[in-house]
Amino acid sequence: MSHEFAVVWAHKDRLLEGLANTIWLSLLATAIALVLGALIAAVLMSRLSVARRAMQWLVDGMRCVPFLLLAYIVYYGLPTFGIRLNNWTAGLCALVLYNAAYLGEILRGAWAGLPSEYTDAAHAFGFQGLLLYRRIILPPVILASVPIIGNQVIQIIKDSAFLTILAVPELTHAASAIQSTYFVPFAAFVAAVALYWVLCRAVELTVGWTERRAEERR
Amino acid sequence: MALDAKIATEFATATAERPVIEVRGVSKSFGDHAVLCDVSLTVDKGKTICILGPSGSGKSTLLRCLNWLERPDHGDVYLSGQRIGYRVGGHVAMSSSELAAIRARIGMVFQHFNLWPHLTVLGNLIEAPIYVQRRARDTVIADAERLLTKVGLAEKRDVYPARLSGGQKQRVAIARALAMRPEVLLFDEATSALDPELVGEVLAVMKDLANEGMTMVVVTHEMGFAREAADEIVFLDHGRVVEVSDPASFFDRPRSERARQFLQRYERA
Amino acid sequence: MNAAGFASLLQGAALTVMLSLIGIVAGVPLGLALALVRWARIPLLSQVVAVYVSVLRATPLVTLALLIFFALPNIGIPVDPIPAAILTLSLNTAAFNCEIWRAALTDFAKPQIEAAKAAGMTPGLAFRRIVFPQIWRTSLPALVNEMTLLIKGSPAIAVLGAVDITRAAVRIGSETYEPLPPFIAATIIYFAIILVFVRAQRTIESYMTRRFGFA
Repeated sequence: MSHEFAVVWAHKDRLLEGLANTIWLSLLATAIALVLGALIAAVLMSRLSVARRAMQWLVDGMRCVPFLLLAYIVYYGLPTFGIRLNNWTAGLCALVLYNAAYLGEILRGAWAGLPSEYTDAAHAFGFQGLLLYRRIILPPVILASVPIIGNQVIQIIKDSAFLTILAVPELTHAASAIQSTYFVPFAAFVAAVALYWVLCRAVELTVGWTERRAEERR
Repeated sequence: MALDAKIATEFATATAERPVIEVRGVSKSFGDHAVLCDVSLTVDKGKTICILGPSGSGKSTLLRCLNWLERPDHGDVYLSGQRIGYRVGGHVAMSSSELAAIRARIGMVFQHFNLWPHLTVLGNLIEAPIYVQRRARDTVIADAERLLTKVGLAEKRDVYPARLSGGQKQRVAIARALAMRPEVLLFDEATSALDPELVGEVLAVMKDLANEGMTMVVVTHEMGFAREAADEIVFLDHGRVVEVSDPASFFDRPRSERARQFLQRYERA
Repeated sequence: MNAAGFASLLQGAALTVMLSLIGIVAGVPLGLALALVRWARIPLLSQVVAVYVSVLRATPLVTLALLIFFALPNIGIPVDPIPAAILTLSLNTAAFNCEIWRAALTDFAKPQIEAAKAAGMTPGLAFRRIVFPQIWRTSLPALVNEMTLLIKGSPAIAVLGAVDITRAAVRIGSETYEPLPPFIAATIIYFAIILVFVRAQRTIESYMTRRFGFA
């Protein structure tokens, strides 16, 4: 058993490369999905009931679809329309689309819970439209949702593992490669699980740190 | 040989006329804070004992030691001659089922009623008699309905506790404790959480029980009830028994200074 | 995609649903057992459960499936794809269910348990008659939500080679050179199944609020 772990350690570069890919993929997907989610939240709170209801349907629909199937559709299906993405980009797109829906719903929930005093004062000072949204509404909304966004980031990290099926070289794929080449399945996947756990703990600690900083400003 | 003699003495004491509850030298601390210091008292059959004292005097803790909801640090508690919390003649703690069997013989009424919300009024009454005492369902239900009539709530039999007033809930709680046919009833500030106009209906039930000869230990702030219904007042202050006397003596001619100060505060109020 | 293709999709769907259901049926009581261990503060075992739950909640389903399928034979336990899939889904959902049950247990009103103790109930009896009848109702929406998440994650078992709906779609696509239709069909089938659970959860929540005054 320990000799297995020694083999994995000898090839830790491969594993760490996979880890780096997972981190990069997750961070990028989170950032883009947050921006997209903010737009979606704006539509969900809009006064145009047609737009609002259409977006609600889309968001609810996205939450009823398994992520892997969405990834498949983006990767295998888009070429039918002439859009040919490599597996990495397809995976990123799927992560972004999927989680933008969730984040949009999260941000909308926090926005609906905002006391109206925030926006009343801003209107009185002449804020409106995009400026109002960006400077007055979004900051407290995001701050209030930090723990739930943290959970979503953990979800993104875990969903990225699905992309191993599309041969994206993230952490699970790296572990899989090591185990099939050197026949060390136990050590390879235990190492991967340990690294995922570390990643999730890091997210939880960041959320805690952010919440404490937010408390100071309240 | 020594063990035989020990068992023989226990048996002899057990069969003689003995008090329902006996407390010997009970002490209890929570962390550094000493709540009870060397408390002893005796509750004879058919008597109503009222435990009075200022807040923080340890009244509730003492009551909860009687059915081992709180475990004393020192001292012993006996129910009809049987030692609670430890097995006969030893320092071996009772198992949870042995403790449960003892508690089934003691009824308790809580300040906040503690009714079980997922059961109807009748359900609350019959739950323990059926599942703890394993009595036949028909007799238990008949008993329970009789008790509900006794506390004046027969028509609420199929209602859920959430729909009752505080006074009604407490009367249900009393009936629930009585349904177990306990050897003694403990009341932990039973009226303190009630609106003033609902206190009377609960005290009336308690007075009836006292008059019928139920053995009761009552922790209360209701001086009127204590004066009328108690056979004996135990006055507690800072975890010690300061004075034990009959109600007339206690309220009219208190012997201790602290009892006097305590009663003065209530007279002014 | 022709009728035969659609038939094999449905077959795959049936397998997926069945495996998910087994995972749910095993995972809900297992989660309760784990939560009870922590609630009763059993020494050593509580800490083990805490670590188990923390790790399982951070592990992607795909990685867990690969770990179980490839690593168990390595330490002497041979395992087929289907049992491995069931084990993966059960162990994963049990960890999340443990946290759901634990939240209900810690929130449970202690005065009710005191009354049960005072009435002579042993801890076991008090749990069976007083605690459980109430916490299964309060936990139901969260448990159903977790069931939905499990079904959404179940395509992970495609890595094990069991011919579930995802693999069926892939195979049809590669045979017909038209990958999109089977994937869309598979997505629609999943969508329908998940929608049933989501609707069920909403109905349960509003029923709870109306009948018991909480959700």
